[in-house]
Amino acid sequence: MNESISNLWSIPLFIIIPILAAILLNVLYSRKRAISVTAAVSSLALIVVSVLSPFGFHWFTGQPAVLPTGGYTYRADLLGWNLALEYYYGPLQQIAIFLASVLLLFVVLIAINSLKKNTGTYISLLFLTFMSAAIVIMVNDFYHLWIGVEIGSLIVAGVVLATGEAVSQKAALKYTFFSALSGAGLAIALALILGVTGYANISDAIIAMPLNDASLASVLYVAFGFTVLSWIYAGGLAPIHPLKADVYGSAFPHATILLQTQSKLMLVAIGLVILRLFGTLPFAKEVMLSVSVLTMMIGVVMAMLQTDFRWTLAYLIVSHSGLVTLGISLGTVQGIIGGLFQAVNDVVYMSVLLLACEGIYYFGRGTSIKTVSGIAKRAPWLAVAAIIGAFAASGVPPFNGFQSEIILIQASLNYGMPELAIVVLMVSVTTFIALFKGIYNIFLRPDDAPQAGEKQGMPVPRMLYVCLAALIFITILFGVYPQLAINFLNEAALKVVYIPWVP
Amino acid sequence: MIELNLQFLSFMAAAVLVVIGLGGMLFLDNLIKKIIAFTLLSDGVNLALVTLGYVEGGIVSILEPGTSGAAFPTNAVLIFGPGIVLTNIVIGVSTTAVLVAVTMVLYQRYGTLKASKVLKGERK
Repeated sequence: MNESISNLWSIPLFIIIPILAAILLNVLYSRKRAISVTAAVSSLALIVVSVLSPFGFHWFTGQPAVLPTGGYTYRADLLGWNLALEYYYGPLQQIAIFLASVLLLFVVLIAINSLKKNTGTYISLLFLTFMSAAIVIMVNDFYHLWIGVEIGSLIVAGVVLATGEAVSQKAALKYTFFSALSGAGLAIALALILGVTGYANISDAIIAMPLNDASLASVLYVAFGFTVLSWIYAGGLAPIHPLKADVYGSAFPHATILLQTQSKLMLVAIGLVILRLFGTLPFAKEVMLSVSVLTMMIGVVMAMLQTDFRWTLAYLIVSHSGLVTLGISLGTVQGIIGGLFQAVNDVVYMSVLLLACEGIYYFGRGTSIKTVSGIAKRAPWLAVAAIIGAFAASGVPPFNGFQSEIILIQASLNYGMPELAIVVLMVSVTTFIALFKGIYNIFLRPDDAPQAGEKQGMPVPRMLYVCLAALIFITILFGVYPQLAINFLNEAALKVVYIPWVP
Repeated sequence: MIELNLQFLSFMAAAVLVVIGLGGMLFLDNLIKKIIAFTLLSDGVNLALVTLGYVEGGIVSILEPGTSGAAFPTNAVLIFGPGIVLTNIVIGVSTTAVLVAVTMVLYQRYGTLKASKVLKGERK
């Protein structure tokens, strides 16, 4: 699709539709049929807009910062006055928003089928989760980036609180307190960049960045530090990974699908901004790589120690965030493609595993690998889904995880750091062990209490089967035909490396 | 030598607020006090953002008839800082509301406001 320089009307729809849906769903509150129709129509509208929207800009202050040709519109005589608050919609944004809106549709349909009360308020929070992710992935200015991250963290707290459990309330409290710190940090970073460059637009700021001015180096490092802090927070990277793992583990599994999608999109978006803006600073990539490696290692080790399948997945999501950031942090075209593709695949196969986890909850009235057993006999299809998800997450061919992990390994080797390739392999193997420990105990271990009627499960929403089938199809499709996704990611990777001022 | 002008003093005041707020959030045990510390932190950030736009002897950033187009960008105070502050106030209020709501729910459950007890799941 050709890029347009006109002020695209379709881009704000990714924000307007979820907000309108959220308002309407709140008003509808507990009228289930009306909520189902509104939520389904709104999600479908988002899918349609993501497919049909042309590529280009939507700007709020008169003119775009950068032309599609790479040309540049800012005027030096109007320093600080060309705000150019803008969104950009390109191939990366298209695949990310398309995938997020498909997952939103699945999640709201499952939520409507499984929840008994206050459905409208809860579903409205799911729509706002999507909205915050859409803002952050499209944004090309610090102002909206900061607002997207702030709104996103408040909504995450709301989604987690919906379970009503004590563990969720504590997770939400900790997460919100840290969001206050991280949000303040991002605001300070914004202020520093604005002070140093005079621009809120990322493209403008990159051009005006005084990288050779030694007197401003400390300011740039402080701005870099605060931006990395918000990256770590938004993506749940080490050393604050327990906060995010708590959030994933204490939310409903179907909600975790959307939460982890939001996290991955924020990781990608903020990671690319850091690379574009600070990539040439000495040690910037090294800091990012260190955070990635720490996240991967700590995440998988913690996943191995869990005795609840839900928490195993929570820590694996954190660990696999490190795979995404590893690719981005390498800063090469191959590395960035690997990181972006890993984000896409991760969202899909983790969704398969989380839906399988929700299925386990219905069949076994819990997800503990100590108390739930023998599910394969009652739900063989669920066992197959969980095994496919586990194979994909472990990087076993022909599933999608294999394709992105092999790119990451090649990128690490080409970058001259074979030790990173070894870490990726180690994460794959450990993921396999952690997942199959849970799968064996829950599905294949003989039932501990086989008396009739003692372990009657709850009715499983039919929508769960449909969503699992669709996600497994995508898992295999991207595993067999990786170019279907990679074609959307090439352009973003090339721009970041060669023309970073172009979003 | 550092010049003690209004902008420098204002930045110092902002830094003091940020440090007090950060210290309170990290080291105080009472959840309400932590929330108050967060508001101090937020105020410090707001002050830093407003100070950023300060221009010595500057003019209000409204382009009035007769104002020189060439001189305006260099003399007018930077308007973007106060713009961000406005948003930060709204976000700060929302965050405070969420924190107070969760604190109330946890107080009803555990009967204490001590973060150390609440997070361990201990009752008063």
